[in-house]
Amino acid sequence: MRITEADVPALERGVALLGSGGGGDTRTAAVLLRRLTGGSEVVDVSALDPAAVVVPIGIVGATSALTEKLPGGAEFGTAVSAIERWTGQRADALVSIEVGGLNGLMPLVVAADLGLPCVDADLSGRGLPRLDQLSIAATGRGLAPAALAEPSGQVLVLAAGTDSSIERGARAFLATAGGWAAMAFGPVPAGELPGCAVVGSVGAALELGRRVLAAGEGPEPGALAAASGGRVLARGRVLEVSRHVGPGSHGSPGFGRGSATVADHRDGALLRLEMENEYLLALRDGSPAASTPDVIAVVDHRTGVPVLCEAIRSGIEVDVLQLAAAPFWTDPRRLPVLQPRAYGIDSDPVLVS
Amino acid sequence: MIVRRLLALASWAADVRVLAGAAGVDRPLTTVRATLDPGDVPGAGELLVLARQLRGTDWRIDALLRRGADNGAAGLLLPEFEPLAATRSLADRLAMPLLVTTARPLDLLVEARVALAAPELDRASLLVAAHRAVGERLRQPAEVVTALRDLLRSPVALLDDRGELLAGELPSAGLVRVGEPVPQRTDLDDGVLLAHPALLPGPARPALWLVTELRGHEATRADAVPPALALAAGAVQRWLLANRLELERDARSRAALLGDLLRVDDEPGADLRRRVADAGWRLGGWHVGLRIGVPSTVDTVARTQEVLRALRAEQIDAAVVEHGDGWTGWATFDQEPTAERVRELATRLRAAHKALRRTLGAHLGVGRPHPRAAGLAATIAEAADAARLAATRPESGHFLHVDQLGMAQLLLEWTRTDTFEPAARALVAPLHEAPGDLVRTLAAYLDAESSITETAAVLGVHRNTVAARISRVEQLLGVDLSHPDDRLALHLASRAVTLGS
Repeated sequence: MRITEADVPALERGVALLGSGGGGDTRTAAVLLRRLTGGSEVVDVSALDPAAVVVPIGIVGATSALTEKLPGGAEFGTAVSAIERWTGQRADALVSIEVGGLNGLMPLVVAADLGLPCVDADLSGRGLPRLDQLSIAATGRGLAPAALAEPSGQVLVLAAGTDSSIERGARAFLATAGGWAAMAFGPVPAGELPGCAVVGSVGAALELGRRVLAAGEGPEPGALAAASGGRVLARGRVLEVSRHVGPGSHGSPGFGRGSATVADHRDGALLRLEMENEYLLALRDGSPAASTPDVIAVVDHRTGVPVLCEAIRSGIEVDVLQLAAAPFWTDPRRLPVLQPRAYGIDSDPVLVS
Repeated sequence: MIVRRLLALASWAADVRVLAGAAGVDRPLTTVRATLDPGDVPGAGELLVLARQLRGTDWRIDALLRRGADNGAAGLLLPEFEPLAATRSLADRLAMPLLVTTARPLDLLVEARVALAAPELDRASLLVAAHRAVGERLRQPAEVVTALRDLLRSPVALLDDRGELLAGELPSAGLVRVGEPVPQRTDLDDGVLLAHPALLPGPARPALWLVTELRGHEATRADAVPPALALAAGAVQRWLLANRLELERDARSRAALLGDLLRVDDEPGADLRRRVADAGWRLGGWHVGLRIGVPSTVDTVARTQEVLRALRAEQIDAAVVEHGDGWTGWATFDQEPTAERVRELATRLRAAHKALRRTLGAHLGVGRPHPRAAGLAATIAEAADAARLAATRPESGHFLHVDQLGMAQLLLEWTRTDTFEPAARALVAPLHEAPGDLVRTLAAYLDAESSITETAAVLGVHRNTVAARISRVEQLLGVDLSHPDDRLALHLASRAVTLGS
């Protein structure tokens, strides 16, 4: 499957929806992807030699800093080389660490730059805030080794460590290194991807984007639900947005927390969204109505463009959607990694089906 | 209790603020409970006190409000905080009172608990006081009424089963629904009427009602009073049962004594005479028997007092004994009474009977005067016969005095009974089918001692007509009117039929 310029709007829409309010602004990545003259090659996992070396890559950190501190262009190549040098394996293909948000697009750009194919899979199936929630961590494969390359030239290899120590190490590095970095993880043989990754997620995001775009601008809730294959939680105006520092752990402040409340035009119900980097929990009139690991997406009612957690503000007209999580996450062995309690929200998961 | 009443308590009024959900302050409130768990589930009627500081942005406040609304809780109280506008809107939308306080929530909880228990305490202390006032020993109902009136500081009355006042006083006594033998509560303009029946076993008909009326300030105790009223009604019932037991025992011994008395043929023995004297009866002198019959459904023991009252009201000094379906009694004269005195007695009895018939379907028979013990049995037997006849004689007001009748008339009256009349009709039936007024002609003919001439004069027809009719009667019935038995039978039959039609 070749992603051409014509496919970019649909793919961008699809990955932005899967970001669940997080995953970063897709605009810069979409511009870069559109500029690739030959498009970008996406291959099925089954089309690869099972022994093929697949390197997971993505951008980590404050993705909003990406628009202020633009990539030099070499960061990904540096990170992949660092992993290649450390493991002694040449990369045969790349895979995105997170299909939701800009990491759903960026690896395609990088793959074209490096002349490698990109695998139709990712390590999240949606937008995720923490490295230790990636599928290779959730299945016990482990994050180490990992390499980070930041725009001013520093390269860091985290050769070994637990998933949470890798997460902590990467965060500490990002705080000193300008906010964001390109990151590559130790290679995964293509034959092992189905067991430790969400397979087919790039194609699925493209399909989702195509269907939603086909529904046109400002669709009725029913049409929107049908196009997205999900459930419309609310159709209304944002009444209030509140942001505050979340409950950190080990003395360090956590991610910013917040709530946004949408007054449903249909019946006056109040839909409250609890958010961190993503929309995590939706309460309809105080009663939990949807939660992670399902995707909760807020879209501008008129344009249909997904609204990021950091961009939601009161007064805008929105539709709130709940999209089913990838079956990878609803598996009881992995549900604890993404359920609300993993984010410090004391609620049982409320899933679409 | 409702949330609004709680908010009116002194410390709540001073320290608690309704942040949102004010539309729900009339929610019913049964208890106030404290918790430290924001995931707690408020139960129905509960006001949940979350004794823990939460951030105003905490979504669990919203979830608590919703769980409370779903379960019918009364509200939510938290330490002072500034909620999100969305949380306020939700509380308003769910009409779930969201209260905050700067005071210590647990102090407020204690005061609320005390206030919630107050009605129960009031009820309990009133009940104890009522028990002390009426519970210890057997008391007259009037005493119970007085004690209860002092206790409730409100008018109390005792009503009978028809709602008539027996003791105490009550302006709105007429509002008690005596047909419904259950505790009653009726709202008045500025108060409440509470009634409790005192029942006797057997027919589910309250014998008495204990009623009170709480007005003005006292009306607020309407929930506290019913148990005390029920206790007092129990005391009245106890008195009724004890009284009834005594009456029953008394009635049984008198009925047995009367039975013994009626059985002796000659002068009673010394033992029997002593028992009669103990009962306050006199065997000497002249007796006029009376018999009051009632339908078998009437509770005679319970209503003896009513009968005695009716007789006493007419200044009749008579012994009365519950006996079968009714009462047997007699009045005694020292000397043989003159016809004048007997008539006067009969007039008074008639008046007493009339009074009794207002509440009792009674028929009364009166015997002739007879002397001494043997005469007592005789006059009572006559009275019983007369009463039996009186039962079927609405035209005489179900009252019959043997003296007025003479024995012959008594016999004739007997022909009006249900057993004789159909037979009489059957006997003269053939005459009805033939032309000519044969039944009346036959009756007139037999009354005129078989005189054709007199019969013709009575009926206003020619004597030949009478002769022809009589011979047709003899033909139709196949009888011989010169035969005494046939004449007697036909005479009675024709009288019964002409009187009956």
